[in-house]
Amino acid sequence: MKRRLSIGLAVVLLLAVVAVVVWGREDEPDSEITVVRGVIGSEKQAFFTDPRVVEAFAKHKIKVEVDTAGSRQIATTVDLGKYEFAFPSSSPAAQKIQRDRKVTTVHTPFQSPMAVATFEPIVKLLEANGAVRKGAGDYQVLDIAEYLELADRRWDQLPGNTAYPARKNVLITTTDPRESNSAAMYLSIVSFVANGNAVVSSAEQEAKVLPRIAKLFLDQGYTQNSTEGPFEDYLSAGMGKSPMVLVYESQYVDRLIRADGSIRPDMRMLYTAPTVYSKHTLVPLSPNGDRVGRLLATDPELGRLAATFGFRTTSPKLFAEVAGDKAPADLVDAVEPPSFETLERLLDEVKKQY
Amino acid sequence: MRKALAFLLVAGLLTACTDEPDPGQPVGPAEPGTLRVLAGSELADMRPVLEEAAKATGVTVKFSFTGTLEGAEALASGSADGAYDAVWFSSNRYPAAIPEAAKRLGNQVKIMSSPVVLGLSSSAAQRLGFAGRPVGWAEIAEKAGQKAFSYGMTDPSASNSGFSALVGVASALAGAGNAVDANQVAAVTPKLTEFFSAQALSSGSSGWLSEAFEKRAQDPAGKIDGLINYESVLLSMNAGGKLPEPLSIVYPSDGVVTADYPLTLLTGANDDARGAHQRLTDHLRTHDVQRRIAETTHRRPVVPGVELGARFTQKDLLELPFPATRDAVDALLSAYFNKIRRPSRTLYVVDTSGSMAGDRIEALRTALVGLTGADASLTGRFRGFRNREEVTIMPFDTTPREPRTFVVPEQDPRAVLAEIKSFAEGLNANGGTAIYDSLDRAYTVLAPVLAKDPDRFHSIVLMTDGENANGRDFAQFQTGFTGVPAQVRQVPVFTVLFGEGSGDELSKVADMTGGKVFDARNTKLTDVFKEIRGYQ
Repeated sequence: MKRRLSIGLAVVLLLAVVAVVVWGREDEPDSEITVVRGVIGSEKQAFFTDPRVVEAFAKHKIKVEVDTAGSRQIATTVDLGKYEFAFPSSSPAAQKIQRDRKVTTVHTPFQSPMAVATFEPIVKLLEANGAVRKGAGDYQVLDIAEYLELADRRWDQLPGNTAYPARKNVLITTTDPRESNSAAMYLSIVSFVANGNAVVSSAEQEAKVLPRIAKLFLDQGYTQNSTEGPFEDYLSAGMGKSPMVLVYESQYVDRLIRADGSIRPDMRMLYTAPTVYSKHTLVPLSPNGDRVGRLLATDPELGRLAATFGFRTTSPKLFAEVAGDKAPADLVDAVEPPSFETLERLLDEVKKQY
Repeated sequence: MRKALAFLLVAGLLTACTDEPDPGQPVGPAEPGTLRVLAGSELADMRPVLEEAAKATGVTVKFSFTGTLEGAEALASGSADGAYDAVWFSSNRYPAAIPEAAKRLGNQVKIMSSPVVLGLSSSAAQRLGFAGRPVGWAEIAEKAGQKAFSYGMTDPSASNSGFSALVGVASALAGAGNAVDANQVAAVTPKLTEFFSAQALSSGSSGWLSEAFEKRAQDPAGKIDGLINYESVLLSMNAGGKLPEPLSIVYPSDGVVTADYPLTLLTGANDDARGAHQRLTDHLRTHDVQRRIAETTHRRPVVPGVELGARFTQKDLLELPFPATRDAVDALLSAYFNKIRRPSRTLYVVDTSGSMAGDRIEALRTALVGLTGADASLTGRFRGFRNREEVTIMPFDTTPREPRTFVVPEQDPRAVLAEIKSFAEGLNANGGTAIYDSLDRAYTVLAPVLAKDPDRFHSIVLMTDGENANGRDFAQFQTGFTGVPAQVRQVPVFTVLFGEGSGDELSKVADMTGGKVFDARNTKLTDVFKEIRGYQ
């Protein structure tokens, strides 16, 4: 319960100092423990403060202290001099830091594909309108090209719609593109499709896709600044408020694993076709930081704990064991996000239209 | 008054309370275990829950209450920096649209929710055929346009319930399916005008609105059919037992705007406050406390897995998109005040007796001039004299002076506002204090124009800095009041205590007329005049 509360709300540069208590090891002298300080995307704070994770690091004589900040801030405004590692939520942000700091090796211990949390009646309706179909894998997908066709219309304009005749546009609820990583991941997906199924990589392509993708954000009006916000609305307020919500797969799977009753029988998760992986990439800034990254990527216990938070791990087996039939073992139809610079330019252009 | 209430509450929560708080830090300096919160006044009802939370978590909340726009302004201007650790309004949508305010919003944790809906007396709901079936905003607007019912609503610039209602109705009536933008506001203005033609009561706060509604429900001549407010307020009124018949709640089928009460840490808060915020929000979001909040305040739980409870008859509500840009919101507010809502007829009865000489008369001049467009602040822009408003200023001393009436035109109000300004600047102090002769004179001035042109919001502001010294006394005024035409008796008198003004009699005047007393003895007169605008 506690960990959900603290997930992912720090988006305006919010540096929360989390003192990580080493449980049951007060008797050991501090000198044997190495404190490693890092700056991380806020959605991983719950993982790092979990007592089991703290214990797992302690076995390796490491105590990790983390501050949280948005991935874009970590890549641009955060003073990284204070830290031994940076751990943003996406690969474009990590690539930028890697280049700026001339780091050769990075670790990608967890990743999570983007998905849409929705409801059975909506799935049926979208299926009838050609936007939901069986994908290349053995699971249903939301076809983003078809979705873009529908997104200029209102729900009540879809033929045969008695399940959700709302006078509002067929739109996936996202977070604020000016502030949140998950919205940038969404932009990666829709820009790929709007660009004729190719990663946007030139100024011409940026200009071409911009009007289409900006509207997907602007038409939503006010958006929340953390991915936990709309997902929580989805779980507690239901279909009327947000019929389709962009989520990290990890958020949804985490709830399924917890089996706390918050995922009700009519709730569904659809992968988008295509999807992108939000690759949580640890950029080491010192040898100690590198050790933390290596442990996260290789220590089976840390991997298993990450899987219980719904993250896909370096070893697919760990995730498969924990998630069971709650999520497909392999996802197909995943594309790469644009470069950090392209993504930043697109986000800035969207921002100007607010 | 709102501020006075804030101080009372603060005093109740403080263990040691100083008499004169530092104006830069109205709820005192930062201290461990205390969260200093700038909040919407409706959160006063969370006090029992917060007292229990203080026992469980060791975190004490010190509130200072303010309105929606005032709160956004305090954030944007930086005056909240260092004075507060957190803000807690019914939503962060408005400050989020103002970049300077948005950048100060840190960790936001939603605590509870309540949609803004229409409550109608059961008989009115039956009469309109709204009972027991889905009704949309378009149908409500149509009935409103036919004057088939009347309702009260808070001022959208002062209170979030009115603000949410305005945005919700505009989005629903625009029917475009996306968030309303500035360009759509003009297109939807005729339908909005229809909808707001049935608004019979405006209020600067959600609390006063329900009080006024309850009071008027007892009076056949002043009865209003409904009010637009938070579901939680309407449910509380039904539970309170002061209404002759319960309210039926209409959940518009085309959607609502829901307040979600994010308890929001400011980015500048220190580590103590950060920890306090974490402990408090963790506690408030436990399942037991979520249920307790629903029982105490009638607001909905927001934590997944906490069941809604039987009192919330409509479980799944359609949510309307909310504009994300300040342009859209400002265009809507400006259209509401200057074009859409029924215009106001406002009579200022102001004391210019000898005791007002010096700083006081200067404060009065400044307060009136502030309403003519001189105040460029966020709140000032929406609390001045509005287009189409009829403003009468009647100074008094030993006797009532000649009233002067200004009609602000619908287009280009600048020339008339300049006239009001120069009139206000010319006010001088001398002579005695004839409060009740002057109020009586105000009624005489108002009666014929009101009879001829009743379709306006009418109100009287009575400002005095002393005791009644000339002419009839309060008892005589009270006796004479029964002789005032019924229509004019319904006009609320907003009394303003200034200098040595007597609270007792002015409270009675406000009470008799369905008005409200405002205290400008410790607050700037300019701020009080701006606050009163929410009721006009």
